[in-house]
Amino acid sequence: MQKSDYKNMWVYIEHDGKTAAPVGLELCCELRRLCDVTGDKLYAVILGELPAAETDKVRDCGVDGIIQVRGTGYEYFNTDAYANAFTVLSRKYNPSAIFVGGTINGRDFAPRFAVQLDTGCTSDAMELEYDPATGDIQFIEPAVGGKIMAVITVPELRPQVGTIRPGTFKYAPAGRKAEIELIEEEIDFDPAAIRCRHLDFIPDEMDPELDIANADCIVCVGNGLKDSEHLERYRVLARLLGGKIGCTRPLYDRGILPYKLQIGQSGVMVKTKLYISFGVSGAVNHTAGVDADMFVAVDKNPDAQIFNYCDYGIVGDMDEVCDEMIAQLKARQG
Amino acid sequence: MANYNKITPEIAAQLRAVVGDKRFFEKDAVDPNYSHDEMPIYGKYMPDAAVDVESTEEVSEIMKICSANRIPVTCRGAGTGLVGGCVPLAGGLVLCTRRMNKILEYDMDNLVVRIQPGVLLKDLAADALSHGLMYPPDPGEKTATVGGNISTNAGGMRAVKYGVTRDYVLALKVVLADGRIIELGKSVCKTSSGYSLLHLMIGSEGTLGIITEMTMKLIPKPICDVSCLVPFRTVEECISFVPKIKLANLDPQSIEFMDADIVTSSAAFTGNPIFPERVRSEDVGASVLVTFVGADEDELDQKMIKLGQIAKEAKALDVLVVATSSNKKSAWAARSSFLTAIEADTKLIDEMDVVVPVDKIPAFLIYIRSLGDENGIRIRNFGHAGDGNLHIYCCSNDLEEEDFKRRVKIIMDKAYTKCAELEGQVSGEHSIGHAKMVYLRESVGEDVFALMGQIKAVFDPYYILNPGKVCDSSFSV
Amino acid sequence: MLNILVCVKQIPDIDLVKMDPETGNLVRAGVPTLTNPLDLNALEAAVQVKERFGGEITLITMGPPMAESTLRECLAVGGDEAVLITGRPFGGADTLSTSYTIVKAAEMEGKFDLIFCGKESQDGATGQMASQLAERFDAAQISCCFSIEDVADGKIRATRTLEHGREIVEATLPCLVTVEKDNFYGRLPNLEAYLAAKTAPITTYTENNIDGLDPAKIGVPGSGTIVPKIYPPELPEPGQMIRTGSVKSDVGRLIELLTDKGSL
Repeated sequence: MQKSDYKNMWVYIEHDGKTAAPVGLELCCELRRLCDVTGDKLYAVILGELPAAETDKVRDCGVDGIIQVRGTGYEYFNTDAYANAFTVLSRKYNPSAIFVGGTINGRDFAPRFAVQLDTGCTSDAMELEYDPATGDIQFIEPAVGGKIMAVITVPELRPQVGTIRPGTFKYAPAGRKAEIELIEEEIDFDPAAIRCRHLDFIPDEMDPELDIANADCIVCVGNGLKDSEHLERYRVLARLLGGKIGCTRPLYDRGILPYKLQIGQSGVMVKTKLYISFGVSGAVNHTAGVDADMFVAVDKNPDAQIFNYCDYGIVGDMDEVCDEMIAQLKARQG
Repeated sequence: MANYNKITPEIAAQLRAVVGDKRFFEKDAVDPNYSHDEMPIYGKYMPDAAVDVESTEEVSEIMKICSANRIPVTCRGAGTGLVGGCVPLAGGLVLCTRRMNKILEYDMDNLVVRIQPGVLLKDLAADALSHGLMYPPDPGEKTATVGGNISTNAGGMRAVKYGVTRDYVLALKVVLADGRIIELGKSVCKTSSGYSLLHLMIGSEGTLGIITEMTMKLIPKPICDVSCLVPFRTVEECISFVPKIKLANLDPQSIEFMDADIVTSSAAFTGNPIFPERVRSEDVGASVLVTFVGADEDELDQKMIKLGQIAKEAKALDVLVVATSSNKKSAWAARSSFLTAIEADTKLIDEMDVVVPVDKIPAFLIYIRSLGDENGIRIRNFGHAGDGNLHIYCCSNDLEEEDFKRRVKIIMDKAYTKCAELEGQVSGEHSIGHAKMVYLRESVGEDVFALMGQIKAVFDPYYILNPGKVCDSSFSV
Repeated sequence: MLNILVCVKQIPDIDLVKMDPETGNLVRAGVPTLTNPLDLNALEAAVQVKERFGGEITLITMGPPMAESTLRECLAVGGDEAVLITGRPFGGADTLSTSYTIVKAAEMEGKFDLIFCGKESQDGATGQMASQLAERFDAAQISCCFSIEDVADGKIRATRTLEHGREIVEATLPCLVTVEKDNFYGRLPNLEAYLAAKTAPITTYTENNIDGLDPAKIGVPGSGTIVPKIYPPELPEPGQMIRTGSVKSDVGRLIELLTDKGSL
């Protein structure tokens, strides 16, 4: 296999037939940057029908081309048809890299077509760099609970496959190219050959308290929390600030707060005006999920890593500081 | 009731001069949490001022000022008590030891550690382990201070094998009410040298003096441990199993009792149903969690095999093994969450911490449940089955506070009478504070209660140390 | 009777893994190991299926010889057979070669109707193994399974947890399933099973006794990815610490600052 035979980078545009999931657009924006460095062309791959207005959003992200796949088998997500489509396309066009959003379904089928293509697959990179000496992409990601950063490469095989968590890269469209190539492919997958079929979907009841991705203010509680008995004060503070409560992974693991409130790379990525952490140590996996205009950290350990990410830090007992904030904010509000 | 004075600006200035501006708090600057412990139902009382002390000398200076001016002084650690012990009933000064949290020195030859009173139990436990040692007392509240543990003679889960806090205190440095500094005990394991004021000080709840330094006994860390969960159909079958464990010479480190209700609450609270509610298609009525320590895995296996045999004879539903680190973590997280799990889904709560002879546990539990039913109060309980120490919680979410208190008083009055009938004690490890004083008085009788009062007067003639607690009935709440 | 395979992994307790500041390498020596917690949820799902629909559970793991203890732990809670794949040449494998190796060894044990895996491992955390195993087993796949409704007539009906709801699916066997913990908390072993597991036989495979094993596809040579470099996370410069001497004035200062900056 000659690496140089493989050119161009692809981004899978996940969608539900109505709208494109943000992660596909985010990846197009980041890959535009990388392709400008490597000289590759950037293609968005769309399986099944997506409304024109949504496809336009993809175009706005600076793609050089769109590969539109039509055929049977794409009505609902299924691993078999989706993995097959990428295998067929990849064998035909030999891309250098394929990026898939690290959603539940993205993580389900991407490693599968990587095996079909007998190539390397990485997941959860937080940064993408290009090494001109080898021609390889460096997938940089936190490992071992965020204690280290690891550089991962696919040194011999192609395409380089990567799944990237939603929210890792910013959605910042570079603008539409004057010419956008449209490749239309007809790949039928026999619906009878789909081994895991969709029967029904039951949407979650929307609990506004659990929708924290774009909350104006987030009070994030970490593993420093003694037990759930001590949690209420943080809810009170969040309410006073007109915000919502979130947590780090250990609190979800401890069963104190639900998964949907877990902030970080493997949970929710949040964008907020004011973020205040209490008892959060500051592992990369968590801080990678926080995009805050103002970042305040409170922890009893003066050496906690979280203070490297904050605008303002207070060393102290989290409960005491929280109580004092509540008292002073109440006094201010009269 | 003794005559106390208010903290005048002059006295405040003197106190401030001892600790400096940053550790002296007055009026609104006092932490409102100082008005209560973890049982706010017994009333909230704000002190007039508070100091965070850092040394024996500071405590001594403070006591001299307060003694000269008849200012009440209530010593406080982490405030995790359950009987209002650290609540300043008479106002005055709260003297907080939380900043005296240093582990001063290990003596590895004699297995002794010298520490300050504000060291948290969990910190001492962890630090000792890192030295290859174990601090055996294991009260449930790990964020309590060790000073508080000594003042209440806290017990905990491992008391079955190792005894209680008292058994690990070798020496204390104490500041008396008038500011004199005395040392009680020596760093040796035997003594036959006069009245033991050391043991008088232990469990005295800050009414006889302020502990400012302690020398604690440690033991080598056990090499390995394992726990077995033994579920039964009924509480009676479960409890009658406890003496059999002891008689089988299995020397368990702890025997913890949990009934079906508490297991359900805890599972809902921690989100991890590690203790099963059904076993072999039968509902579990109650379980014991038995922990063994030993030199190697074989020794533990042999103990478990023997436990399995007697469990079968006792009609246990099964014997489940908690051996992996993850399962141990989950099991102890669940066990440690019992109180907070109760608190989490309860608005009004009151508790009792009685000790009854082990064979009387079922009789007492059945009685207390019937009292709960009669009075419309939800009863939750768990406890240290191995030593008969039961934690019983009266809970309600619907009643008004006054109505709740009235009903609980009926239950408590009857329950403590029943406890006395069964030859039990008022408190196993939470102590008396002000909440349980009337029951102590009933339990020990007038002669003993009066003797306690006379001893108090010897140490603290002006009654300035923690007024209204243990045996000081002159201060009525 | 269902033939069920459960894939498990022994991992270091990552809370205790440290990085050597001199060499930049991870120090794993002496760090206690545990069974990947999510694998225990997978095992529980398998045990529940076995209890409801009948079956036999084979456990499989790849790792150093001491990974045997993970197999024994899993045998105690409901495994019937255990397979250990061990040997130097397997070391350093990524998911591409690990999935190949596990499937080759599993084939020695027969055909499996259901394969259960944890969603990801706590140490590697790629979450790729399950999908890659499914592909190599040529099996259907149900990832993030919330509950299993039925297994009958060569099919499994189950509910998946997705980002914004639950999807009900039906898959043909063989099928690989990864589970959410909600309904699959691990159980405690009973004493007899715990003691029996201590001496239960374990089938061991090395590079020498797996039929048709291609040495080019295992270990480092068979891996698609490499890790050329690890380094400590670069930390940004610390923020401004507020130290005024008391909690009260610290918080007062913070509120002032936040108000000035328009954050409040």
